[in-house]
Amino acid sequence: MAVQKSDIEKIVGQGNVLDDEATLAAYSKDQSFVSARRPDLVAYVENGEQVQAIILKANETKTPVIPYSSGMNLHGATIPDQGGIMLDMSRMNKIISIDEENWYVIVEPGVTYQQLQDNLTEKGLRIMVPFGTPPQRSVLTSYLERDPVMAAPSFEHGNYLIMDTELVLPNGEIFRTGNWASGGDPGAPSGPIRNTLFRMFTAAQGTLGIMIKMVLQVEPIQKHQQLFFIPCNTLEEATGAVKAMQLREIGTECLILNSFNLAAMCADGWNIPEQFPAEASTSADFEAMRKELPPWVITVCINGNIRRAEEKIAYESEALKEVCDSVNLPLLENLPNVPGADIMMKNELLRPWSILKKFNYKGSVNDLTFKAPLKKAAELEKRLQELAGKHGYSTGDIGMFLLPLERGRAVHCEFDLHSPAECGDARHAVKALWLEASADLLNNGAYFDRPYGAWADMIYARAANYTQMLRKLKADTDPNNILNPGKLCFT
Amino acid sequence: MEKKKCVPNRLPPEVYTALEDIVGSEWISEDRAVVECYSKFSVDSGGTLKKHAKDPSNIPACIILPGSTEEVQAIVRVCNRYKIKFIPFTNGMITFNGPTTPEPTLCIHVSRMNKVLDIDEDTMTARVQAYGDYAQVQADAMKVGLWNGGTPLATTLCKLSSQSAFAGVWQTDHKYGTLSRNIVSIKLVTAAGDILVTGSDSVSGMDTFWEYGPGPDLFSLVRGSGGTTGIVTEVVVKLHAWPGGEELPEPPAGRPCIQTYMDAKHDTAPFPKRYKLLWVEFEDFETELKALREIGHAAIGQGLNATGVYNAYYCSQTQDMTLDRVENKFFPPYNCYVIIGGVVSEKQIEHEENIVRDIIAEVGGTFLEGDYKSDVQYALAPWNLDCIRHVTGYRMNRHAYCGSNILGGPVDTVARKTRQVWSKAIDTFGETYVTDRGGMDDTPFLYSSNHSGRYWLTEADVYPDMTKPELLQKGQALVACGIVNTIADKFGPGANGLGVSIEPITSFMPEVGPNAHMLFRGIRDMFDPNGLCAPGRQIFTKEEYEAFPEEAAAGLNKLRQMHGLDPIQR
Repeated sequence: MAVQKSDIEKIVGQGNVLDDEATLAAYSKDQSFVSARRPDLVAYVENGEQVQAIILKANETKTPVIPYSSGMNLHGATIPDQGGIMLDMSRMNKIISIDEENWYVIVEPGVTYQQLQDNLTEKGLRIMVPFGTPPQRSVLTSYLERDPVMAAPSFEHGNYLIMDTELVLPNGEIFRTGNWASGGDPGAPSGPIRNTLFRMFTAAQGTLGIMIKMVLQVEPIQKHQQLFFIPCNTLEEATGAVKAMQLREIGTECLILNSFNLAAMCADGWNIPEQFPAEASTSADFEAMRKELPPWVITVCINGNIRRAEEKIAYESEALKEVCDSVNLPLLENLPNVPGADIMMKNELLRPWSILKKFNYKGSVNDLTFKAPLKKAAELEKRLQELAGKHGYSTGDIGMFLLPLERGRAVHCEFDLHSPAECGDARHAVKALWLEASADLLNNGAYFDRPYGAWADMIYARAANYTQMLRKLKADTDPNNILNPGKLCFT
Repeated sequence: MEKKKCVPNRLPPEVYTALEDIVGSEWISEDRAVVECYSKFSVDSGGTLKKHAKDPSNIPACIILPGSTEEVQAIVRVCNRYKIKFIPFTNGMITFNGPTTPEPTLCIHVSRMNKVLDIDEDTMTARVQAYGDYAQVQADAMKVGLWNGGTPLATTLCKLSSQSAFAGVWQTDHKYGTLSRNIVSIKLVTAAGDILVTGSDSVSGMDTFWEYGPGPDLFSLVRGSGGTTGIVTEVVVKLHAWPGGEELPEPPAGRPCIQTYMDAKHDTAPFPKRYKLLWVEFEDFETELKALREIGHAAIGQGLNATGVYNAYYCSQTQDMTLDRVENKFFPPYNCYVIIGGVVSEKQIEHEENIVRDIIAEVGGTFLEGDYKSDVQYALAPWNLDCIRHVTGYRMNRHAYCGSNILGGPVDTVARKTRQVWSKAIDTFGETYVTDRGGMDDTPFLYSSNHSGRYWLTEADVYPDMTKPELLQKGQALVACGIVNTIADKFGPGANGLGVSIEPITSFMPEVGPNAHMLFRGIRDMFDPNGLCAPGRQIFTKEEYEAFPEEAAAGLNKLRQMHGLDPIQR
């Protein structure tokens, strides 16, 4: 690497650049199957000017720069494929403002879900949180990487929550999108020529720019909510019911969990881990519960909003009952054998972190995260079960979570394969299954729209024109290929 | 005195032959009568001024009508081989400049590609060819209980393909967002002649159901490009639940013929099934804004908008009626309308109406209902259907559309800012017609673009008499003045008059995103390395920027200096 530690120290100050073995090792890996690789140094930045200066220096020296916010991607996005400068932005953790009148916040990349939700709660507001995303995860990065929030079933509340943004382009220039573009106040996602150019930077793993501020929609905390549970025997049954209720636009949050995942959430013997991979442990509670719970449970939350809440909850509940009757499924206000499930789930709407207890099972969770048309989900589940059987992986050990998107147009699926974190035969066996399942599911309609790790080669090989245009874009915007090189199709 | 002749360009014969080989002789023409038809768009002040000046640069040299994506691609490749400029054309309802180059230009009219190819009930999507319009999509989708979520205030005849390259503002943006939020995929013949498909459709063998391609979203480069990145030949749009029945209702008196168009009874169709439109009038602007804010926060309804002078245009069957109603303040100057749909059940309508009534009781306002102003209620009847499938908006084009002052952001700030900059512009340059005062003497048009009313669009328009070039020029000055004022105040890039284009604003107002124009120019180069597509339209190429008329640049610089900005030195 041509860049010197002293060059970066001049920008961020002595003590804010580390290159000791322990530090480099810590940044070289995460809990995914992506191969470890050390950065050359880690720089802790505190503001946008330092980010700009490092980018300019990196261009001079053709040094890779890997943007890093919280390290909670868990899919290898920040593993430096070609070494370089690990740009740690966790100290840029200011909640710059909370607009209580227009319901938006401005955050830096180091702001975590826990931090933001705690701050918003004091003001009666909430950020929409993705299910099972660690509380330590950067909100900005999570939204930028298109983690779907729990309200994503609702078209209005779920899938278009980024407003204005500010980023450093690969040439070091500051670029703003949305209303912010002219240097005034933020307040809308459309920028010059009515574009919504922030989308170009989504799911880019920091390869096209480094986002340093983001304006996000927030909402009032719901004072009146009604939760319902719908137990199902098969995923096909569950997706059929979900389709019917989504077509009538009933409820805001809605998710489908299999018994493994629901039991993991409810298990008394496990805590939410702070590190990933976690330390594996056993829970008798989990083992008992996963046998007792229905194979699948749909959870639906009807929000009352801020006016005439009871009236809204009443008519939507009535409509939901009609749907359940039409598909011969029970509509329950609580789960048998799980006392307090309704209270737990209500808490999850604001802080959906209990599902992270699943990491206790083996230590590492290797998910297959994709989107598909809702009607394909059951078929894809069956394929995975068959492949698991073929590989000698217990089908009962697959955790499954499905989130309908945009009123049932699509579904976000997370199918988990559990493995020990340590290298060894058991982990290699799960990796082999994970790789085969990734390819097989992709071949059968699973769409890995956020191509982390091995998925990138698989999916870009099937999208020649799209890939060619992405590469042109990368070459034009980052001619020195300094930003997180090696990710996506930018090899 | 010698009469000035307007002589259009011709394509070189070898180019014409190469193009004819692609589509056949019946689908290509350079007949003067034909090319003239494509020389001015329907609401195009710049084109009209060129007509007055007998400037031939808006007249295409040749019109070609491809029948498929493959033919479009072949045509674009011929254009690249011979370096012929070309312009995509759907139905000419674009609000700004056509070909603005003295070089011979090929107009690629996609009218033969006019089908709704598929309605997929499972993924709730419609696949539409380049010339497919909103009315077609809605007619097909409503039969299976779905709809696309809105139509532009222009008309349902707007083509989704061309709108996808802009924004597509709907009356129901409050719930559904603009068209640009509702695109699942486009098939684009890039200006260089490649095919780009976006969304999940970009991946071989994948269903068309998700709007993001793998990794970064390339559609975001096309959105807003105004046709400069290439020609959209297919678009897949999202569909939503439609509770309104298989067909929209008809006016009891039936549709008018040419002799009876002025009779208002033909505009009195009822609401669609399970829909309701609530009109409220307010005593003043402040009360209106307070109500809009509260209704927005209540997160109800499919549409939440306010309309001032536009009611006089939309709802008046003749120009005389329009003028009379403006002068006599027939319509409430401060108002809002809420579009309510019962997707969950009938009770949803009751619930949401209750909330609107609660809010109006709190903040003040009077519902236009019952015996109250029944003549106004009758006159407003066109909105009953137009809130879903807009048709009558084109009445506005009795005069020439000359541009808009459009801002985006929170309702209070955009509404007030529009009044401020528009009043200043009118005070400085004067009005071209009494309706130009819309937005300063009454509410500007306000559309909620977010379901909780976080951000809105506002609009103030100029509609001068198109037979008078001096008024068209004044209209352009009004719009430019409003924009420069907004930019000088760092208000936001929503200021995009001259239709929805931003040029020459982007190049001459670099304050709109300090380096946005350079990035956009790079993107345009990426799609169009030879600088051939939609010349002069959106994000000037380096050559177009340098060729921009000195007189016009001086005018913009004068406005810049008037608002405290330094002039641009080219």
